[in-house]
Amino acid sequence: MKTEEMITRLAEGLRPVRRMPSPPVMLALWTLLAASVIGLAALVFGTREGLDRPMTRFDMMHSLAALLTALLAGLAAFELALPDRDRRWAWLPLPAIGLWLGTMGVGCVGELVRLGAEGIRFHVSWPCLQFIIGLGLPMAGLMLWLTRHAAWIRPGPVAGFGALSAAAFASIGLTLVHPTFGPLMVLAWHGVAVLAVTGLAALFGPRLAWRVPA
Amino acid sequence: MSHAQPLCLMLAPGQVARDARDLRWSTLMAAAQEGDGAAYATLLAECLPFLRAICRARLRDAAEAEDAVQDALLTLHRVRHTYDPARPFRPWVAAIAERRALDRLRRRGRQVARETLLDDAAELGAEGEAEERLAACQLREAVGELPQAQRTALQLTKIEQLSLQEASARSGMSIGALKVATHRALHSLRRRLTGGAP
Repeated sequence: MKTEEMITRLAEGLRPVRRMPSPPVMLALWTLLAASVIGLAALVFGTREGLDRPMTRFDMMHSLAALLTALLAGLAAFELALPDRDRRWAWLPLPAIGLWLGTMGVGCVGELVRLGAEGIRFHVSWPCLQFIIGLGLPMAGLMLWLTRHAAWIRPGPVAGFGALSAAAFASIGLTLVHPTFGPLMVLAWHGVAVLAVTGLAALFGPRLAWRVPA
Repeated sequence: MSHAQPLCLMLAPGQVARDARDLRWSTLMAAAQEGDGAAYATLLAECLPFLRAICRARLRDAAEAEDAVQDALLTLHRVRHTYDPARPFRPWVAAIAERRALDRLRRRGRQVARETLLDDAAELGAEGEAEERLAACQLREAVGELPQAQRTALQLTKIEQLSLQEASARSGMSIGALKVATHRALHSLRRRLTGGAP
Protein backbone atom coordinates (compact mmCIF):
# COMPACT_ATOMS: atom_id res chain seq x y z
CA MET A 1 0.00 0.00 0.00
CA LYS A 2 1.26 3.45 -0.84
CA THR A 3 1.91 5.79 2.06
CA GLU A 4 -0.43 8.45 0.68
CA GLU A 5 -3.19 5.86 0.51
CA MET A 6 -2.49 4.89 4.11
CA ILE A 7 -2.88 8.53 5.16
CA THR A 8 -6.28 8.69 3.46
CA ARG A 9 -7.37 5.50 5.23
CA LEU A 10 -6.14 6.68 8.63
CA ALA A 11 -8.01 9.97 8.26
CA GLU A 12 -11.22 8.30 7.11
CA GLY A 13 -13.71 7.95 9.95
CA LEU A 14 -11.23 9.42 12.42
CA ARG A 15 -12.60 9.21 15.94
CA PRO A 16 -11.98 11.88 18.57
CA VAL A 17 -9.62 10.89 21.36
CA ARG A 18 -9.42 11.97 24.97
CA ARG A 19 -6.18 13.85 25.40
CA MET A 20 -3.88 12.31 27.98
CA PRO A 21 -3.41 14.28 31.19
CA SER A 22 0.10 15.60 31.90
CA PRO A 23 2.59 13.35 33.76
CA PRO A 24 2.18 15.20 37.11
CA VAL A 25 -1.61 14.71 36.90
CA MET A 26 -1.09 11.04 36.01
CA LEU A 27 1.28 10.73 38.98
CA ALA A 28 -1.36 12.21 41.29
CA LEU A 29 -3.91 9.72 39.95
CA TRP A 30 -1.45 6.84 40.34
CA THR A 31 -0.60 7.87 43.91
CA LEU A 32 -4.29 8.00 44.76
CA LEU A 33 -4.85 4.54 43.28
CA ALA A 34 -1.78 3.13 45.07
CA ALA A 35 -2.89 4.67 48.39
CA SER A 36 -6.35 3.12 47.93
CA VAL A 37 -4.85 -0.32 47.24
CA ILE A 38 -2.55 -0.06 50.29
CA GLY A 39 -5.47 1.15 52.43
CA LEU A 40 -7.54 -1.81 51.25
CA ALA A 41 -4.67 -4.20 52.02
CA ALA A 42 -4.35 -2.69 55.52
CA LEU A 43 -8.09 -3.24 56.04
CA VAL A 44 -7.90 -6.85 54.85
CA PHE A 45 -4.66 -7.85 56.64
CA GLY A 46 -5.02 -5.49 59.62
CA THR A 47 -2.38 -3.02 60.71
CA ARG A 48 0.61 -4.21 62.72
CA GLU A 49 0.96 -3.78 66.45
CA GLY A 50 2.66 -0.61 67.61
CA LEU A 51 1.75 1.43 64.57
CA ASP A 52 0.54 4.22 66.86
CA ARG A 53 3.97 4.47 68.51
CA PRO A 54 6.48 6.98 67.05
CA MET A 55 8.58 5.51 64.25
CA THR A 56 12.24 4.75 64.78
CA ARG A 57 14.70 6.90 62.88
CA PHE A 58 15.50 3.98 60.59
CA ASP A 59 11.84 3.22 59.84
CA MET A 60 11.12 6.88 59.15
CA MET A 61 14.08 7.28 56.79
CA HIS A 62 13.32 3.98 55.09
CA SER A 63 9.66 4.88 54.54
CA LEU A 64 10.46 8.39 53.34
CA ALA A 65 13.06 7.10 50.89
CA ALA A 66 10.62 4.45 49.66
CA LEU A 67 7.94 7.10 49.18
CA LEU A 68 10.36 9.32 47.29
CA THR A 69 11.38 6.36 45.10
CA ALA A 70 7.73 5.48 44.43
CA LEU A 71 6.88 9.05 43.42
CA LEU A 72 9.97 9.80 41.34
CA ALA A 73 10.02 6.41 39.59
CA GLY A 74 6.32 6.93 38.83
CA LEU A 75 6.95 10.39 37.40
CA ALA A 76 9.88 9.07 35.33
CA ALA A 77 7.63 6.30 33.94
CA PHE A 78 4.89 8.77 32.94
CA GLU A 79 7.39 11.18 31.35
CA LEU A 80 9.30 8.46 29.47
CA ALA A 81 6.03 7.03 28.17
CA LEU A 82 5.60 10.15 26.00
CA PRO A 83 7.46 10.28 22.68
CA ASP A 84 8.93 13.78 22.96
CA ARG A 85 10.29 13.59 26.49
CA ASP A 86 14.00 13.54 27.21
CA ARG A 87 15.41 10.13 28.05
CA ARG A 88 17.29 11.80 30.93
CA TRP A 89 14.06 11.54 32.94
CA ALA A 90 15.39 8.06 33.69
CA TRP A 91 17.97 9.64 36.00
CA LEU A 92 15.35 11.28 38.21
CA PRO A 93 14.59 8.39 40.58
CA LEU A 94 18.22 7.30 40.97
CA PRO A 95 19.07 9.58 43.96
CA ALA A 96 15.94 8.38 45.77
CA ILE A 97 16.84 4.75 45.06
CA GLY A 98 20.34 5.48 46.36
CA LEU A 99 18.88 7.06 49.49
CA TRP A 100 16.57 4.09 49.98
CA LEU A 101 19.42 1.60 49.71
CA GLY A 102 21.66 3.94 51.72
CA THR A 103 19.30 4.13 54.72
CA MET A 104 19.07 0.36 54.74
CA GLY A 105 22.85 0.03 54.38
CA VAL A 106 23.50 2.38 57.29
CA GLY A 107 20.89 0.50 59.33
CA CYS A 108 22.59 -2.79 58.53
CA VAL A 109 25.99 -1.56 59.62
CA GLY A 110 24.43 -0.20 62.83
CA GLU A 111 22.79 -3.55 63.51
CA LEU A 112 26.01 -5.44 62.85
CA VAL A 113 27.90 -3.15 65.24
CA ARG A 114 25.19 -3.47 67.90
CA LEU A 115 24.64 -7.23 67.73
CA GLY A 116 27.81 -8.55 66.12
CA ALA A 117 27.81 -11.06 63.28
CA GLU A 118 26.64 -13.85 65.62
CA GLY A 119 23.67 -11.85 66.78
CA ILE A 120 22.12 -11.76 63.34
CA ARG A 121 19.89 -14.66 62.42
CA PHE A 122 19.19 -14.95 58.77
CA HIS A 123 15.76 -16.25 57.88
CA VAL A 124 13.46 -16.13 54.89
CA SER A 125 10.61 -13.74 55.46
CA TRP A 126 7.87 -15.29 53.36
CA PRO A 127 5.13 -12.88 54.51
CA CYS A 128 7.36 -9.98 53.48
CA LEU A 129 8.04 -11.49 50.05
CA GLN A 130 4.44 -12.52 49.53
CA PHE A 131 3.10 -9.11 50.49
CA ILE A 132 5.39 -7.05 48.25
CA ILE A 133 5.15 -9.41 45.28
CA GLY A 134 1.44 -10.13 45.85
CA LEU A 135 0.60 -6.45 46.07
CA GLY A 136 3.40 -5.14 43.84
CA LEU A 137 2.62 -7.25 40.77
CA PRO A 138 -1.07 -6.29 40.45
CA MET A 139 -0.09 -2.67 41.10
CA ALA A 140 2.62 -2.95 38.45
CA GLY A 141 -0.08 -4.32 36.13
CA LEU A 142 -2.19 -1.26 36.87
CA MET A 143 0.78 0.97 36.13
CA LEU A 144 1.39 -0.87 32.84
CA TRP A 145 -2.20 -0.17 31.91
CA LEU A 146 -1.83 3.53 32.75
CA THR A 147 1.29 3.75 30.57
CA ARG A 148 0.14 1.31 27.86
CA HIS A 149 0.77 3.85 25.08
CA ALA A 150 4.50 3.49 25.87
CA ALA A 151 4.47 0.10 24.13
CA TRP A 152 5.35 1.93 20.91
CA ILE A 153 7.83 4.29 22.50
CA ARG A 154 10.05 3.01 25.34
CA PRO A 155 8.35 -0.14 26.66
CA GLY A 156 11.26 -1.51 28.73
CA PRO A 157 12.26 1.52 30.81
CA VAL A 158 8.63 2.57 31.35
CA ALA A 159 7.63 -0.90 32.57
CA GLY A 160 10.72 -1.06 34.79
CA PHE A 161 10.23 2.34 36.44
CA GLY A 162 6.48 1.81 36.70
CA ALA A 163 6.99 -1.50 38.48
CA LEU A 164 9.66 0.00 40.73
CA SER A 165 7.15 2.65 41.75
CA ALA A 166 4.54 -0.04 42.41
CA ALA A 167 6.97 -2.16 44.43
CA ALA A 168 8.10 0.85 46.47
CA PHE A 169 4.46 1.65 47.30
CA ALA A 170 3.93 -2.02 48.23
CA SER A 171 7.01 -1.85 50.46
CA ILE A 172 5.50 1.17 52.27
CA GLY A 173 2.26 -0.79 52.60
CA LEU A 174 4.18 -3.65 54.17
CA THR A 175 5.57 -1.42 56.92
CA LEU A 176 1.95 -0.63 57.91
CA VAL A 177 0.91 -4.28 58.00
CA HIS A 178 3.92 -6.37 58.94
CA PRO A 179 6.38 -5.91 61.82
CA THR A 180 9.93 -5.23 60.63
CA PHE A 181 12.80 -7.54 61.58
CA GLY A 182 15.60 -5.02 61.58
CA PRO A 183 17.49 -3.37 58.74
CA LEU A 184 19.32 -6.44 57.49
CA MET A 185 16.19 -8.49 56.94
CA VAL A 186 14.39 -5.46 55.54
CA LEU A 187 17.22 -4.87 53.09
CA ALA A 188 17.33 -8.51 52.09
CA TRP A 189 13.65 -9.20 51.59
CA HIS A 190 12.35 -5.81 50.58
CA GLY A 191 15.23 -5.63 48.12
CA VAL A 192 14.63 -9.10 46.71
CA ALA A 193 10.89 -8.52 46.38
CA VAL A 194 11.26 -5.07 44.77
CA LEU A 195 13.88 -6.46 42.39
CA ALA A 196 11.60 -9.38 41.50
CA VAL A 197 8.62 -7.13 40.73
CA THR A 198 10.72 -4.63 38.77
CA GLY A 199 12.57 -7.33 36.84
CA LEU A 200 9.42 -9.28 35.97
CA ALA A 201 7.65 -6.15 34.76
CA ALA A 202 10.63 -4.93 32.72
CA LEU A 203 10.93 -8.38 31.13
CA PHE A 204 7.30 -9.24 30.48
CA GLY A 205 5.62 -5.84 30.68
CA PRO A 206 6.51 -4.74 27.15
CA ARG A 207 5.14 -8.00 25.71
CA LEU A 208 1.89 -7.53 27.62
CA ALA A 209 1.67 -3.87 26.71
CA TRP A 210 1.89 -4.70 22.98
CA ARG A 211 -1.33 -6.70 23.32
CA VAL A 212 -3.30 -3.88 24.91
CA PRO A 213 -4.76 -1.31 22.52
CA ALA A 214 -3.47 2.19 23.22
CA MET B 1 18.24 12.28 16.99
CA SER B 2 21.44 13.46 15.37
CA HIS B 3 19.98 12.90 11.90
CA ALA B 4 16.87 14.90 12.66
CA GLN B 5 18.82 17.82 14.06
CA PRO B 6 20.09 19.30 10.81
CA LEU B 7 16.47 19.63 9.73
CA CYS B 8 15.59 21.50 12.90
CA LEU B 9 18.69 23.66 13.09
CA MET B 10 17.88 26.20 10.44
CA LEU B 11 19.06 29.74 10.03
CA ALA B 12 17.18 32.72 11.40
CA PRO B 13 14.86 33.34 8.41
CA GLY B 14 13.93 29.64 8.40
CA GLN B 15 13.40 29.81 12.14
CA VAL B 16 10.31 31.99 11.72
CA ALA B 17 8.91 29.74 9.00
CA ARG B 18 9.59 26.65 11.08
CA ASP B 19 7.86 28.07 14.12
CA ALA B 20 4.83 29.07 12.06
CA ARG B 21 4.72 25.61 10.52
CA ASP B 22 5.09 23.91 13.87
CA LEU B 23 2.25 26.00 15.23
CA ARG B 24 0.13 25.07 12.21
CA TRP B 25 0.89 21.37 12.67
CA SER B 26 0.14 21.67 16.35
CA THR B 27 -3.26 23.28 15.58
CA LEU B 28 -4.04 20.60 12.98
CA MET B 29 -3.13 17.86 15.45
CA ALA B 30 -5.35 19.39 18.12
CA ALA B 31 -8.21 19.38 15.58
CA ALA B 32 -7.40 15.76 14.68
CA GLN B 33 -7.63 14.84 18.35
CA GLU B 34 -11.15 16.28 18.25
CA GLY B 35 -11.95 13.94 15.34
CA ASP B 36 -11.38 16.29 12.37
CA GLY B 37 -10.37 13.86 9.62
CA ALA B 38 -9.64 16.56 7.03
CA ALA B 39 -7.22 18.32 9.40
CA TYR B 40 -5.58 14.97 10.12
CA ALA B 41 -5.14 14.13 6.44
CA THR B 42 -3.65 17.59 5.80
CA LEU B 43 -1.31 17.26 8.76
CA LEU B 44 -0.05 13.80 7.79
CA ALA B 45 0.44 14.82 4.16
CA GLU B 46 2.40 17.92 5.22
CA CYS B 47 4.49 15.88 7.67
CA LEU B 48 5.31 13.18 5.17
CA PRO B 49 8.49 14.79 3.73
CA PHE B 50 9.74 15.42 7.27
CA LEU B 51 9.11 11.79 8.28
CA ARG B 52 10.73 10.54 5.08
CA ALA B 53 13.82 12.68 5.72
CA ILE B 54 14.23 11.18 9.20
CA CYS B 55 13.72 7.59 8.06
CA ARG B 56 15.93 7.93 4.99
CA ALA B 57 18.72 9.37 7.11
CA ARG B 58 18.64 6.15 9.16
CA LEU B 59 17.89 3.57 6.48
CA ARG B 60 19.75 3.44 3.19
CA ASP B 61 17.25 1.13 1.51
CA ALA B 62 14.46 3.32 0.10
CA ALA B 63 11.75 0.64 0.45
CA GLU B 64 12.79 -0.06 4.02
CA ALA B 65 12.73 3.66 4.79
CA GLU B 66 9.22 3.94 3.33
CA ASP B 67 8.09 1.00 5.51
CA ALA B 68 9.52 2.84 8.52
CA VAL B 69 7.53 5.94 7.50
CA GLN B 70 4.37 3.83 7.41
CA ASP B 71 5.21 2.33 10.80
CA ALA B 72 5.70 5.85 12.13
CA LEU B 73 2.32 6.95 10.76
CA LEU B 74 0.62 3.98 12.41
CA THR B 75 2.35 4.69 15.72
CA LEU B 76 1.42 8.36 15.47
CA HIS B 77 -2.18 7.28 14.89
CA ARG B 78 -2.19 4.94 17.89
CA VAL B 79 -0.64 7.38 20.33
CA ARG B 80 -2.24 10.56 19.00
CA HIS B 81 -3.93 11.10 22.37
CA THR B 82 -0.50 11.59 24.00
CA TYR B 83 0.24 14.79 22.10
CA ASP B 84 -0.09 17.95 24.17
CA PRO B 85 -0.90 20.92 21.87
CA ALA B 86 0.82 23.25 24.34
CA ARG B 87 4.14 21.67 23.32
CA PRO B 88 5.90 21.76 19.90
CA PHE B 89 4.64 19.14 17.49
CA ARG B 90 7.84 18.49 15.59
CA PRO B 91 9.92 16.87 18.38
CA TRP B 92 6.94 14.65 19.20
CA VAL B 93 6.54 13.35 15.67
CA ALA B 94 10.31 13.21 15.07
CA ALA B 95 10.80 11.00 18.15
CA ILE B 96 8.19 8.56 16.81
CA ALA B 97 9.81 8.41 13.36
CA GLU B 98 13.28 7.98 14.88
CA ARG B 99 12.06 5.08 16.98
CA ARG B 100 10.39 3.27 14.09
CA ALA B 101 13.42 3.77 11.86
CA LEU B 102 15.70 2.40 14.59
CA ASP B 103 13.41 -0.61 15.02
CA ARG B 104 13.71 -1.33 11.30
CA LEU B 105 17.47 -0.85 11.46
CA ARG B 106 17.80 -3.31 14.35
CA ARG B 107 15.55 -5.84 12.63
CA ARG B 108 17.61 -5.47 9.48
CA GLY B 109 20.82 -5.98 11.48
CA ARG B 110 19.50 -9.21 12.97
CA GLN B 111 18.38 -10.39 9.52
CA VAL B 112 21.82 -9.68 8.04
CA ALA B 113 23.48 -11.58 10.91
CA ARG B 114 21.26 -14.59 10.23
CA GLU B 115 21.94 -14.43 6.51
CA THR B 116 25.70 -14.32 7.20
CA LEU B 117 25.43 -17.44 9.35
CA LEU B 118 23.58 -19.22 6.55
CA ASP B 119 26.25 -18.20 4.05
CA ASP B 120 28.96 -19.67 6.31
CA ALA B 121 26.98 -22.89 6.64
CA ALA B 122 26.65 -23.08 2.85
CA GLU B 123 30.37 -23.48 2.43
CA LEU B 124 30.43 -26.40 4.84
CA GLY B 125 27.53 -28.39 3.45
CA ALA B 126 26.52 -27.24 0.03
CA GLU B 127 24.37 -30.25 -0.83
CA GLY B 128 21.90 -29.95 2.04
CA GLU B 129 21.84 -26.24 1.54
CA ALA B 130 21.03 -26.64 -2.15
CA GLU B 131 17.97 -28.69 -1.28
CA GLU B 132 16.93 -26.02 1.19
CA ARG B 133 17.46 -23.36 -1.43
CA LEU B 134 15.37 -25.27 -3.93
CA ALA B 135 12.61 -25.67 -1.37
CA ALA B 136 12.88 -21.99 -0.55
CA CYS B 137 12.76 -21.14 -4.24
CA GLN B 138 9.67 -23.30 -4.75
CA LEU B 139 8.06 -21.73 -1.72
CA ARG B 140 8.86 -18.22 -2.96
CA GLU B 141 7.42 -19.11 -6.36
CA ALA B 142 4.28 -20.56 -4.82
CA VAL B 143 3.84 -17.49 -2.63
CA GLY B 144 4.35 -15.30 -5.68
CA GLU B 145 1.48 -17.02 -7.46
CA LEU B 146 -0.98 -16.40 -4.64
CA PRO B 147 -3.60 -13.69 -5.16
CA GLN B 148 -2.45 -10.28 -3.87
CA ALA B 149 -4.78 -10.26 -0.84
CA GLN B 150 -3.60 -13.70 0.28
CA ARG B 151 0.04 -12.72 -0.18
CA THR B 152 -0.43 -9.57 1.88
CA ALA B 153 -2.24 -11.49 4.62
CA LEU B 154 0.50 -14.15 4.71
CA GLN B 155 3.28 -11.57 4.73
CA LEU B 156 1.80 -9.56 7.60
CA THR B 157 0.44 -12.30 9.86
CA LYS B 158 2.90 -15.16 9.31
CA ILE B 159 6.16 -13.63 8.08
CA GLU B 160 6.17 -10.32 9.92
CA GLN B 161 4.11 -11.94 12.69
CA LEU B 162 2.01 -8.86 13.30
CA SER B 163 -1.11 -9.16 15.41
CA LEU B 164 -4.39 -9.22 13.49
CA GLN B 165 -5.12 -5.65 14.62
CA GLU B 166 -1.74 -4.40 13.41
CA ALA B 167 -2.01 -6.34 10.15
CA SER B 168 -5.50 -4.94 9.64
CA ALA B 169 -4.33 -1.37 10.25
CA ARG B 170 -1.37 -1.85 7.92
CA SER B 171 -3.22 -3.52 5.06
CA GLY B 172 -6.61 -1.88 5.38
CA MET B 173 -8.20 -5.37 5.30
CA SER B 174 -10.73 -6.30 7.95
CA ILE B 175 -9.67 -8.85 10.58
CA GLY B 176 -12.16 -11.35 9.18
CA ALA B 177 -10.84 -10.90 5.63
CA LEU B 178 -7.27 -11.32 6.91
CA LYS B 179 -8.13 -14.57 8.66
CA VAL B 180 -9.84 -16.00 5.57
CA ALA B 181 -7.04 -14.88 3.24
CA THR B 182 -4.33 -16.35 5.52
CA HIS B 183 -6.20 -19.64 5.80
CA ARG B 184 -6.67 -19.87 2.04
CA ALA B 185 -3.03 -18.96 1.40
CA LEU B 186 -1.75 -21.67 3.76
CA HIS B 187 -4.15 -24.20 2.23
CA SER B 188 -2.98 -23.39 -1.32
CA LEU B 189 0.69 -23.57 -0.35
CA ARG B 190 0.22 -26.89 1.44
CA ARG B 191 -1.51 -28.42 -1.60
CA ARG B 192 1.04 -27.05 -4.01
CA LEU B 193 4.15 -28.07 -2.06
CA THR B 194 2.95 -31.54 -1.11
CA GLY B 195 2.27 -32.36 -4.76
CA GLY B 196 -1.50 -31.94 -4.84
CA ALA B 197 -3.26 -29.96 -7.52
CA PRO B 198 -3.10 -26.21 -6.88
